Amino acid sequence: MPAGSAAIAFRPVAAETGEELRLAMQSLFLAGRILPVGARLTVRHVFQSEEKKPLEVIYSFALPRDAALRRFQVSGPGFSVRSELKPVAEAVKAYEAGLEKGNLATLARQYGDGIVNLTLGNLRPGEAVTVTLQLLAGVEMRDDGLRFRFPFTLAPSYHARAKSAWMPDGMGEMELPEDEFGDVILPRFAQDASGLHQVGFDLSIWMPEQIQELSSPSHPVRILREDGHHGRVCLAAERDVPDRDLVLDVRANAGFSGALAGLGSDGKGYFAATVASTQFGALPQNPRRMALVLDRSGSMSGLPIGQARKAMEACLAALAESDWFGIVAFDNHVERFQDKLLPATQDNRDRAREFLSGISARGGTELAGAVLAAAEMLGSEGGDILVVTDGQVFGTEKILAQVRSTAVRINCLGIGSASQDRFLALLARETGGVSRFVTPRERVDIPAVDLFASIGRPVATEIAAQVDGFATYALAPDAPSAVFAGSPLVLFGETGAGGEGRLLLNWRTPDGTREMAVPLAISRNSLGETLRLIRGARLLTDLESRLDKIETPGAAGKREENRVGDRLEALSQALGLASRRMALVAVLERAGDQPGEIPQTRIVPVGMPQDVAMGAYFLGRTRAMTFAGMAVGAPTAAMAGMPPAEAAASGMFAGATSLFSRITAKRPAGADYRERAMPPAAPTGPEDLLLDLAGRIQSDGGMPGHKEDERTLATLVALLCFTAEGHTASSGAFRSHVGRLIAFLDPRASDPLVREALARIRKGGSLPGDWAEVAEPLRIGKSLDTGRARQALSQALA
Amino acid sequence: MPREDRKWTLLELAEEAGVGARTVRFYISRGLLPGPASAGRGALYAEEHLERLRRIRSMQQRGMMLSEIALDLHGASDVRVAAPSSWWQYAVSPDVQVWVRADVSPWRLKQVRKSLAQMSAQLQASQKDEETDARR
Repeated sequence: MPAGSAAIAFRPVAAETGEELRLAMQSLFLAGRILPVGARLTVRHVFQSEEKKPLEVIYSFALPRDAALRRFQVSGPGFSVRSELKPVAEAVKAYEAGLEKGNLATLARQYGDGIVNLTLGNLRPGEAVTVTLQLLAGVEMRDDGLRFRFPFTLAPSYHARAKSAWMPDGMGEMELPEDEFGDVILPRFAQDASGLHQVGFDLSIWMPEQIQELSSPSHPVRILREDGHHGRVCLAAERDVPDRDLVLDVRANAGFSGALAGLGSDGKGYFAATVASTQFGALPQNPRRMALVLDRSGSMSGLPIGQARKAMEACLAALAESDWFGIVAFDNHVERFQDKLLPATQDNRDRAREFLSGISARGGTELAGAVLAAAEMLGSEGGDILVVTDGQVFGTEKILAQVRSTAVRINCLGIGSASQDRFLALLARETGGVSRFVTPRERVDIPAVDLFASIGRPVATEIAAQVDGFATYALAPDAPSAVFAGSPLVLFGETGAGGEGRLLLNWRTPDGTREMAVPLAISRNSLGETLRLIRGARLLTDLESRLDKIETPGAAGKREENRVGDRLEALSQALGLASRRMALVAVLERAGDQPGEIPQTRIVPVGMPQDVAMGAYFLGRTRAMTFAGMAVGAPTAAMAGMPPAEAAASGMFAGATSLFSRITAKRPAGADYRERAMPPAAPTGPEDLLLDLAGRIQSDGGMPGHKEDERTLATLVALLCFTAEGHTASSGAFRSHVGRLIAFLDPRASDPLVREALARIRKGGSLPGDWAEVAEPLRIGKSLDTGRARQALSQALA
Repeated sequence: MPREDRKWTLLELAEEAGVGARTVRFYISRGLLPGPASAGRGALYAEEHLERLRRIRSMQQRGMMLSEIALDLHGASDVRVAAPSSWWQYAVSPDVQVWVRADVSPWRLKQVRKSLAQMSAQLQASQKDEETDARR
């Protein structure tokens, strides 16, 4: 924005050209209610034209996980109309017919990867129109609460056949292949989102257990606690921009086990039963076979790749000597640490750390190839895959189809400010795994350690469920194949009518079969219809993910695709929710509509996701960008601020770094295109100490030392550091590490200090003392002061 | 009616070209396609529109972006190609190096990389053949 231009201080201006931007979409506001099993949302889009001709405005957005559009309402001065749900071809026809007549026509159409084009046609000069869209969305459920994520920007993603360029007006453009994505139009991507439409939110939250904490790692929020079970979260800042997802965390006092239930609008009963993983049994300690898959693609450059490396190192530290592991890093190519799994000996773990330290971000995101390589590594004995990625990839349905065939459990740790939460949640769920998502500005190592402690060791398998007390019922989607520590079991179902009954569950643990009954009380209340819709959105998402079948090519594949498509259309119609086969359309006739006029198309831009460098997706100028007078081009004066091709060196299209080396690059003054990727100051705190200690645990579970006595004391001191922060062998992110330290100390309990300390710890306590200070030499790789340690332990036990 | 005299409505034109009507309007707004001869109800499109649409699709299939297509459609005389700010250096073999502008479009870079990889492989193979012959 030009300095000293007070008159236009609040007008959006193009950073590259200094020209005022004319926004076709002014604002986006998210409201709604978040429940433990999903959310019912409304998104209000305000469109306004300041141009002289009618406009056709196209806004592209990504659906959150397990989401479906329900309906929208278009309103303006003196008019309001509600959308109809129609098969896509009919909806498009109705939209075009309305447009031809000069009517205000609106179409919400969903494409692959959960991308939606909201198209508003014939917006008149000076006219302001609001489109209020209703949708349902899933949440990332945890035993002690949930994480809710809503995309305010659509992240550019990798696709082998995508075309992209960085335009001279500072915007990125990306086009997807029509044979796979149809006529979808992606937004233009602005490096600087400050001049784009405003975003805001006001969400209410209800939890059956007492809410302990509401927070957002992504946005400044104002929190209103209405009572123990209700809360409200609003944007605290006056305005915000669309350059990252909204992330909200809800923590409850205890894990919820029970059923939410009610009657839907169709008179049927609907329920969502949730059982905390702690109800299923203890975490088994069987040896694990793990393949770690690290995304090193260009979009991970900057903060995310550093965070991902830390996450992987923390996971390596959690491996026991009896575990087996492998590592695969991927961009356009797949790189293996070793061709096969290796035992997690100290030497192998050290070599793996060395391998990881040489990993930098570059190239594309050929995720399917990496997962297939990891599955091959696990071989016929099977095991678990942990993928650490931002998930920024297009064509996800095809990837899902490919990895389903591996029959290997895939767990995902997503890192990104606007990543494909929807895709990674599906990838994990469809293969029986667990997914977690963090933003690059959060600590990633602790969630990684927490996730890693759970995967590969389900607390329950062979889960079966039935409903007792209702004449008719249906359980769908299917129960998951396993439950993992930290993530609850969630089952959706419907009954023929209201009433009371029970959901009967049984499952297998290493100790045998167990069972549980969850009471169901279904009556008329405000929950029933919401549960019907949340469940419906989940069913549609699952079915949509199977629409692109690639494992059966040719006519058979086409028939299968048609069969799934027909089922999707029927389900969509029955539920009253949009899908890839059913779109929402509304046409409104206004006084004075002029038929036949061709509206000018305007694509609503969004911001590049925070922490992702523009050069990760958009290579430097094309010839087209220097063309003067072109509709999308800009005067050559704009070339002064062009990004250097240097950015590409770390980007997706620098996949050729093995072939190419950049030899000259002059960076224009004042163009710091990477400033958004600068990492925040390194975090420090008790968790850093624990991570450092965890990283030094030897393969036998003990801490390093020159003599047996020194190792024993060092291990006990390290253990006390973990227990002092509330971690035990069964709870806390470091539960796996605590378990290993205790297992090392158990045979050494002949030492009275060890015996007594272990006894106290097993009772659920710790010992008083500044164990962090005693452990400081261990943290930095030096020898423990054994005399001091013994003295501190004696004092604590006295 | 002779083909060249045929006229289409926007919907008919879109159907004939195998694209959506929204896509046609998008192309008009981007300057890729001229608007109809007359505005208002009954606006019609001619053979030149259909030909242009087919040409655009053909160029897209060759990997060009819409911005690049617009450039080609408007003629090279209007093009001002900026001086490159950096180059990729490609060592094809110990005795051959190729320089490529670092700011070419992604699809173009893919083509260049593919060609250079083939060239590199051919040169390496011919060098091996020479070494084998020399040993004999």
